[in-house]
Order: sequence, then C-alpha cells, then structure tokens
Amino acid sequence: MNFTLFDLKIVEYSFFITAILVIMIGLYGALVKKSLIKVVIGLSIFDSGINLLLISIGYITSGTAPIFSPALVKDMPLTLENIKKLSEGMVDPVPQALVLTAIVIGFGVTAVALSLVIRLYRHHQTLNIDEIKNLKW
Amino acid sequence: MNMIYILFTLMFGGAILTFLAHKVSGLLRDTLFVLTVLASTVLFYTKIHTGDTVDFSISGLSLQWGINAYGRIFSMIVLGLGVMASFYSVSYMKGKERLGYFYFNFLISLMSMMGILMSHDLVSFFIFWEMMTWSSYFIVIYNGKNVQRSGINYIIFSALGAYAMLMAIVMVYAHTQSLMIPDMMQAFPFFPAAYKIWLPILFLTAFTVKAAMMPLHVWAPDAYADSPMAYTSVFSGALSKMGIYGMIMVFVTMVNYLPDDTWFRETIAWLGAITAIMATLWAIAQDDARKLLAWSSVAQLGYIITGVAVGTPLAMLSALFLSVMHALFKATLFMAVGAIEKQTGTTKFTEVTGLIRKMPWTFISSLLAIIGLAGIPPLGGFVGKWMLYESLINSNHYILVIAIFFASTSAFLYCYKFLFGFFLGQEEKEWEHVKEAPALMVLPMIIMATLLLVFGVFPGIVLKPIDLGMQTLGYSTTAGTFWSMSGLFNEWGNQIMMRPLAYAIGGTFLFFLIILTVKGFKETRYVTTKDISSSGEVPLEHENLTFSEGFYQPFLRAVCPVMKRRMMTYYQGFGQGMEAFFDYLRRVYSGNGQTYAIYVIVFVVILLLFKNSLFG
Amino acid sequence: MVGSPVLFIAVPLLAAFLIPLLGMVWKESIRILPGLVLLYMLVLAITLLEQVMHTGTIVEILAGWKPPWGINLVFSPFTGILATLMILMGFIIWIYSYRFKNVDFEEAKKYFILFMMLVTGSVGIVLTGDIFNQFVFIEITSISAYALTAFYKHRDSAEASFKYLMVGSLSSMFLLLAIILIYSQLGTLNMADIASKAHLMKPEFKILAVIFFIVGLGIEAEIFPLNGWVPDAYAQAPGPVGAAFAGIVVKAGVYALIRIIFTLFDVSGTHQFLIVIGLTTMIISEMAAIRQDRLKRMLAYSSLGQMGLVLVAFGIGTEEGIFAAMFLLINHAIGKSLLFLSGSYLVYNSADKYISETNGMGKFLPVTSFLFALGALAVVGMPPFSGFWGKFFMMSAAAHANMLLIIALILSVSLIELVYYFRVINRIYFYKKESHITPKKPTVNAVIAMATLGVIILIIGFYPDLISGYLHQASQALLDKGKYIQDVLSTGQLLTH
Repeated sequence: MNFTLFDLKIVEYSFFITAILVIMIGLYGALVKKSLIKVVIGLSIFDSGINLLLISIGYITSGTAPIFSPALVKDMPLTLENIKKLSEGMVDPVPQALVLTAIVIGFGVTAVALSLVIRLYRHHQTLNIDEIKNLKW
Repeated sequence: MNMIYILFTLMFGGAILTFLAHKVSGLLRDTLFVLTVLASTVLFYTKIHTGDTVDFSISGLSLQWGINAYGRIFSMIVLGLGVMASFYSVSYMKGKERLGYFYFNFLISLMSMMGILMSHDLVSFFIFWEMMTWSSYFIVIYNGKNVQRSGINYIIFSALGAYAMLMAIVMVYAHTQSLMIPDMMQAFPFFPAAYKIWLPILFLTAFTVKAAMMPLHVWAPDAYADSPMAYTSVFSGALSKMGIYGMIMVFVTMVNYLPDDTWFRETIAWLGAITAIMATLWAIAQDDARKLLAWSSVAQLGYIITGVAVGTPLAMLSALFLSVMHALFKATLFMAVGAIEKQTGTTKFTEVTGLIRKMPWTFISSLLAIIGLAGIPPLGGFVGKWMLYESLINSNHYILVIAIFFASTSAFLYCYKFLFGFFLGQEEKEWEHVKEAPALMVLPMIIMATLLLVFGVFPGIVLKPIDLGMQTLGYSTTAGTFWSMSGLFNEWGNQIMMRPLAYAIGGTFLFFLIILTVKGFKETRYVTTKDISSSGEVPLEHENLTFSEGFYQPFLRAVCPVMKRRMMTYYQGFGQGMEAFFDYLRRVYSGNGQTYAIYVIVFVVILLLFKNSLFG
Repeated sequence: MVGSPVLFIAVPLLAAFLIPLLGMVWKESIRILPGLVLLYMLVLAITLLEQVMHTGTIVEILAGWKPPWGINLVFSPFTGILATLMILMGFIIWIYSYRFKNVDFEEAKKYFILFMMLVTGSVGIVLTGDIFNQFVFIEITSISAYALTAFYKHRDSAEASFKYLMVGSLSSMFLLLAIILIYSQLGTLNMADIASKAHLMKPEFKILAVIFFIVGLGIEAEIFPLNGWVPDAYAQAPGPVGAAFAGIVVKAGVYALIRIIFTLFDVSGTHQFLIVIGLTTMIISEMAAIRQDRLKRMLAYSSLGQMGLVLVAFGIGTEEGIFAAMFLLINHAIGKSLLFLSGSYLVYNSADKYISETNGMGKFLPVTSFLFALGALAVVGMPPFSGFWGKFFMMSAAAHANMLLIIALILSVSLIELVYYFRVINRIYFYKKESHITPKKPTVNAVIAMATLGVIILIIGFYPDLISGYLHQASQALLDKGKYIQDVLSTGQLLTH
C-alpha cells in the first residue's frame, strides 16, 4: 500500500514537473527567440504545458476515462451512493473538458498567429521580430 | 416656472438659436443676438429681485441658484458691458467668418458669468466657471492668431485654477456633506487646521488666475490681445472681475478666520502691487495698442487685488468701485482700439497717427477713458484710487502706497502713448480716407465714457449698490462714514475736509480754461500738421515727423533690469522640460512585441516576489 | 417575460454563422442582419434592465445543470448595465459602419462576422457566472479582435495584431493557470460557489490565483506594464473597430478584473493595488499621449489613461467610488467612441494619420469636427458635458475616502489631457488645410451614429439623473457579495426539486 502511494506521488509530481518544464521551454521560445515562427512555436509549447498541467490535476493513477464506467446494472436506483460507486476509478472529467476547449482555442490562436506571420513576412521581407517595429512609442 | 430658470433658458436658448440662425441669414442672427442680451438684461432687472432663490437637485446633489446684493454689483458690470458690447460687436464683426460660433460663445460666456454670480452652491459655481473658461477660450482663439500659444496658455492656467477649485470643492463637500456656499462659510471656522490653510490657497489659485495676478498672469496679455476687440471689452472688463468676485468671498469668509491672517493678506497684497508695477512697465514698452491695453488691464487688476487683500472696509469699497470703473474705461478703450482696427486695419502706434480729426468721437471717448484710467479727477478712476490710497495709509501700508503710487504714475506714460500714438501727431496721406467708425460702434463708447464722468462726479450712484453688497458680506454699512450722497456732489473717503479745497482748485482751473478758450476763439487759425518749422527747417510733404518708434526708450532703459526676468520663460522652460521627460518616458513602449511579452513576465515575477507585502 | 439573458449570446452567435449563408442569397443581408440582431438585443437588454431594477437579479441556468456545476448567466443591475452599454455601443458602431467596405462584399462579410463575434464575446464575459466560460468568451473576443486588428492589408496592421496576439496568448495562459489553481483547490468553477468557498483555499494559493488573474485580466483591462499592444492595435484597426475596442472590449476586461477582485476573493491589498496600478497607467499613458504625432495613437493612449482613472475609482471601493467609476466608464465608452468614429473621418484620406493632417478640417467637415470637439470636451470633463459628472463624483468619492493626494495627482495629469485635446481642436478649426489631403465627407449613417453619441453626451451632461439611479443600484449590486452568491446558488436549489 505504501509503495503504491509513493508510486502515485512520483507519477503525480512527474506530471507537474514535466508540465512546468514544458512551460519554461515555451516561455524561452516566445521571449528569447528572434524568429517569428519560433516565437509562435514557443507560444504553442507554452500552451501545451498549461494543458498538461490542467490534465494532471484531475488525473488518478491507473484511472479510466470518464466514459468507461462499469456497466450500469439494471434496476440500479440513481442514488448518490450508486453514482459514487460508478464513478470510482474515473479521472475527473472536468479538467479534460476544459483542456479540450483550451486545445481548440490554442489551435485557433496558433492559426491566426501563423497567418499573421505570413502577412508580416510579405510586408517586411523578414521574420526577425526586432526589425518589425514600425509602430512604436 | 421660476424667473431664474427663464433667465438661463433665455440665454442658453438664445445662444443656440443665434448659432442656428447663422445658417439662415445674417440679419436674423444679429437681431437674435442683441435681443437675447437685451431681453435677459431687462428680465434680470425687472423680474429677479435680491433674495430670490430656486432649489433643485441633480443626482442627489442639492443645488441652489439665486441672487444677493453682492452678486448684483457684478451683474451690473456683466450685463451692462454685455449690452454695450453686443451692440458694438454687431457692427464690429460685420463681414467676418464664423459669426454663429462667435455669438454662441459670446452668449454662453455672458450666461456663465451670470451663472457664477447666481450660484449659491459650489457645484453650479464650478460648472459655470468651467463653461466661462471654454466659451472664452473659443473666442480667444477665434482670430486664429497663434492659437497654440495664447490659447493653450490660457486653457492651461484656467484649468490649473479650475482644478484647484474642484479639489477645494470636494474637500469641502467631503467635510461638510453640503455644497451650499453659506454652509461652507459657517463651517469654515471649525475645519481642521490644514484645511483652513489649504482651502483659501486652492480657491485663490482659481480666482487669481482669472484676475491675472502674478505669477499666474502670463496667459492674460496674449489672450486679451488676441481675441476680437468686441469680446476683449467683456473679457477684460467683466470676465476678469469674476476672479475678483471670488477673491473677495474667499477673503471675507475664509482668510478672516485664519488664526494668523496677516502674512496671507500681506503676501497677496504685495503680489497685487508687484503685478501692478510690472504690468505697467510692460504696458509702456508695447508698440501695439491691444498689447498695451492688455498689460494695462493686468496692472489695473493688480490695484484691485491689493485693495481686496488689505480688506479694510474702505479698501474693499475702493476695490469694488475700481472694478466697476475699470470695466467701464477698459471696455471703452478696447472698443476704441477695435474701432481703429476696423477703420484702418492696424493697431500699431508706429503705423497709425493723427486720427483726431478723422475719428473725433472715438477720440473723445478714449480721452475720457484715459483720464479715468490715469485716475485724474473728476472721472471715476480718481475716486477709486483716492479711496485705495486712503485705506492703505490708514492701515499702515506705507511702502505699499509708494508701490501703488509708482505704478499709478507710470501709467501716465502709457496713457499718453495711447492718445498720442493714435490721435495726435502728424496726419499722414495713408490714413486720409479714414472715417469715423459706424454709429453702432461709437455709441457704446460714448455712453460708457459719459457714465465714467457721471460716476466720477456722483460716485454715490455706484457706491450705494456696492454698500448693499458689502453688507451682505458682513460689513457694516459704509454710507455716511466713508461716503454720502448729497444733492449736488457726492462725497467719498473719510477726509472730507479735503473736498472744498479740491473743488476750489478744479473750479479755478475750469474758469481759466473757459476764459482762455473764449478769449482765444477769434484768433483761432486752422493749420496742417506740416505747418511748423524745427531748427528753421520747414518739413517736406513726405517727411515723417511722428516719433512713435522707440517711445520712452530712456525710461525703459532705466527700468530694464527689472524687466529682464520674465515669468513666461520659466514656464516655458518647465513645459519644455516636462515634454522632453515625457518623450523619454514613452520609450517604454518600445514597439517590440517581445519586449511587451517580457514586461508581462517581469510584472508577474514582481508581483510574485512582493506578494506578501502587496496582498495580505 | 420577453426573453432571457441567454439570447444575448445565442442570437448574435447564430447571426454570425448565418451571415455568410444569407450573404449567398442576398448580399445586402450581411449588413442588415447584424443591425437587426443588435437592435433586438438592445430592446431586450433595456427591458430586462428595467425589470431587474425592480425585481432583482435574473440568473439563468444553461442546459439544466444547476449552478455549482453547470454554466449560468447572471443579469444583475451591475452586469445588466454593462451589457446594455456594450450592446448600445455595438448598435451605434453598426450604424456607423453600415456602408463599411461598400464595394467589397467578401471583406464586408468578414468584418460583420468578426464584429458580431466581438460583441458576443464581450457581452458573454460580462454576463457569465462561470469562470471557465468567461475564459472562453475572453478568447472569442480576443481572436476576433486579433483578426479585426489585422483587417487592413496595406498598413502595419499585421504587426499590431501580432503584438496583440503575443501578449493576448500570454494572458490566456495566465488565466488558465489561475483557473487550474482554483479548480484544484475548490473543485468548482462557478463564481458564486468560488466566492462562497474562497475562505477554504490555502492563503498562498489564493494570492497566487489572484496574481495570475490580475495579470491575465490586466492584459485585457490594459493596465500599465501589460498594455504595450494597445496603442498599436487601436491605431491600426479600422475606425469603428477602434471605437469598439474603447467602447466594448476594454469594458469587458475591466469588468472581469473587478469581478475577480470584488466578488471572488477578499484578498486585502487588492483595492490599494488597483489604485496604484490605475494611477501608474493613467500617468504614463497621458504622458505618452501628449507626445504623439498620430491622431489615433493619441486617442489610444488617452483611452488607456481614462481606463486607469476608472480603475482608481473602483479601487476606492466605496459605493460612491464604484458609482463614479461606472459613470466614468459610460462616459469613456461614449466619448472615446465618438472620438474614434469622428477622428477616423478627420484623417480618412491620409496615409500616416498624422495629427497635423487634421489641420483646417473644421471648414470642410463641419459636423464631424464639431462632434470631435464635443467628444473631446466630454472626455476631458468640461461641464456641462457628461464627463464632468464622472470626474466630479470620482473626486468627491476620493475626498470622502480622504485621498487628497490622489486627487491632486489625478487633476494634474488631467491638465496634460486637456492640453493635447485642445491642441487638436485648435488644429482642426484654426489651421490651414494641408494641400495634399482631400477631406472625405462622412456617409449619412456615419453622421447619424456620431450625432447619436453627441446627443447622449449632451443628455447625460444636462440630466445625469437619467442614469444615476441605475448606477447607484449597480454599485450596490457589485458591493453586495452575499446577495450575489445567494442569488446564484438559490436558483440552483430551486431547480433541484
């Protein structure tokens, strides 16, 4: 029992640590890299890191997806206890729903960003973010 | 509906109708404009009585309009000048552009001045104050001459004053929960000590800006000189008096309750005197009549401020009397300059000369006004200045008397310059075609000059309402002690013994004047200005004998060390420094998207580092 | 009951999707449909607002899930007024842009779709009672705003849009982080539920969440170090979109920030933080504004300054302060939109939109210039126009809270504002026109839209009682946190049978 608990912690922490690492990499890309494409990639990675973090909150070790529940026994009344029993072993569905939405939004933002990068390249003939400063002060 | 509402509806509606009528026809517009001013004047003097009030509330603030005897003194100036200037401007502004705009702002500024006098609460006072500011601002820039300089200067200083007043108002409101001016007056003695100092300072900032006191006067010369003369008469005559109106209230209700008010009064009185001296010197140095009169306005307001600050009943009486007189003579003079500008197209002494025969009525009214300005009996200016000197001496301000006396005598120099430059001197070919200004322009000048004479001989006519107003402010009546209305001549000042002597001297002077005129009448011979000889040489036709260039150079050389430092340069330096600083500061918006993203991260990091001290 | 709050989101969203379909049938319909929808929403909003003022907050439950779990919409006096304001501004901007891209059908279609999305998102941010739902609406608003910013192909608009996008996506990340924190601690996303359970959170997590929210929403509310994108985006977007940013989008951002600070958590120090950050924003952006040589950038910086003032007013935290803040908010929406709408006609035919290119326009575009001047007077707070009351109430609220130094600071910064607005007015009326500029006469619908705003400024200026009753109720509604929680959660109780 102790072992599993320990195991669980490692897994959970590993998720958090990975997520934070991914976020840091994304931030690095977005803030330091000079190429617009790399900036967009950095933002995208940052986004994935956040999504990972979000999922890991609702994660239960060796849990199942919230749609795979034990079969609903016929004539089982829908009481609170029964619902609890059914949902045992399920990961929390809410973060997953959130992440799905966040992924869609992130996809949309990335698409807009890439199209802007194309426009910027056509307009300025460069992808260096330091050279695209017509608007300032 | 209450008459007070009708008055404001009339003026505001008249302004809008005049503005709209501009699109229809010029005659309709002019008629509406004059009618609005006339009708509101008649309405005010027939239907609105001292003590009438109306109460209403806006968004939970209870407000009150009404008129008391003190406001009536100034309403006399505002409406009187308003009527005169409205007739004048119909003729003066003929043929100019954007007349709808001009008349609209003219009426709005008249209305807001009446509003200031009729506000019994601080919020409507402030609203009308600001309306007065923007409406007069729009007229200052009407001519389009250096709008970015004179206009912006005017708006900056006005707004500085107005915001100081707003701050004072909210301080009072937060402290007393009431916006009524009488409530403020009653509560003032019980305010905390810091409030007692700050409230008068803040209010005085607002009022001294409008009254153009050093060091807040720098907007005035430009603004007076650059607005159309038809409005400058109101601007300098009435609008600046709103500052005096407020100052008197502050002195009577606040400064009197200061634990130690002497330093306060002395400072303001001295600032007023310095304003008078410096502005007089600057007026002497001007070659443009508009600038000269503008500086002279500043100087005259300096005397009034000194009188207000000294604050004895006689000083207050003289300040109020001088306010009325200054409105009359300065408006006449500005109108005269306007008439000359209209007829000749210039207002420079160096260009126009010898108009005395071409514009006789303008000359006579300017002459009377100049005599009034210089403070020579028997015109109104003398009465006011006499009382001012007397009050200063009685309250032991001897050095102040010397200062004021210096300014007052130096004023003779620019007075003479004005008369000589325009009217006397050689008649030139260039100005042969010049005719007298239209009757509509001449009449107001003559009426006001005559009034000046009447008030000089019978000052009681003006002193009576002033006395009533001062009683509203809490002074005991001054009638009988400082002045009285007798059958033939009025008396003023408290050294009545002087009077027979003065009249005797005046009478003798007049007697000889008449005798000499009658005696010399037969020998009169009309000559041209070239009919002279200097050093045995007779001047040729084209030779210019007028020496308007470099007038008073020796005098100016003598006083130039004082005039070297100008307030304006300091303000300009400050303004430029600020703008350079702003320019430097705005570089935080570097234009690089990545920098902005870094700002975000840095901001987060800072918040995280200081989260314990920021959020408990 | 004429309708329910969900229509504020469903109808415009549906319209946004219908526009391309209807456009295939009848080209004019893409212009008419948004107007009809916005007009319907406006009528509905005013009716509901009137009802809410008398009967209390309307809470609507979506899809039958009761509040702690499902998404709900809250139409309280506070949110209702903001939603009504946004819809009104949306409607006026629609009138203004009715003839937008008259010849180019495809472009116009895109514009109207994106505009509807912008309005939907902003109204959604205000009405929703669910924190993740709010995040989604913020993203809807942002993405349509990115696209609208980059609308013109020949300008530097893509650059502005990219900056907006970079900062905006950071904003969404921080919002998600904050949401994660709250969910992991409390297991709920409902605002009322969070508010009622906030004391259960570990304090350090709570502060962390507040910081992430402040950063994420601060980007939308344009507070100082986070607002680098604002001037670029405002200046490069088409005129009506600039007006929509100032009149609609910022308002939503400020609302979200205020909701977090006032309702969700009661962390001490946030009010002072609002004041400090608002003052900083105001001072720096006004200083930048006076040195601008391009009209729209100047307006954008000025908008930042005004929103800073609104934040200060909220930060005072008393009922009076919130009332003043709402007043300033409404004045800013109306005045600044009017400035953007009329200003973009003043510099219509100039490439760089320099302020000097407005010289002498007063003669050629009298109505537009007049309305610009009116808007400027209202924004700087000259009586008797609407801005004055906001300023006065704000000052008196600050004085009641004994913040005299702040009053002095705000007033001295207002001087700067006064100077640059009057400089532009002087140019418009008293300078000679630049010879290479040909003035562009505004279309009839644009004049109607601008004149409506002008009339509103005058009406509020002369008769502030028209809105002050609503605003008092609104500020009470914002302050009464207990009632908000009870209103939302009790609706859930009712539906559980």
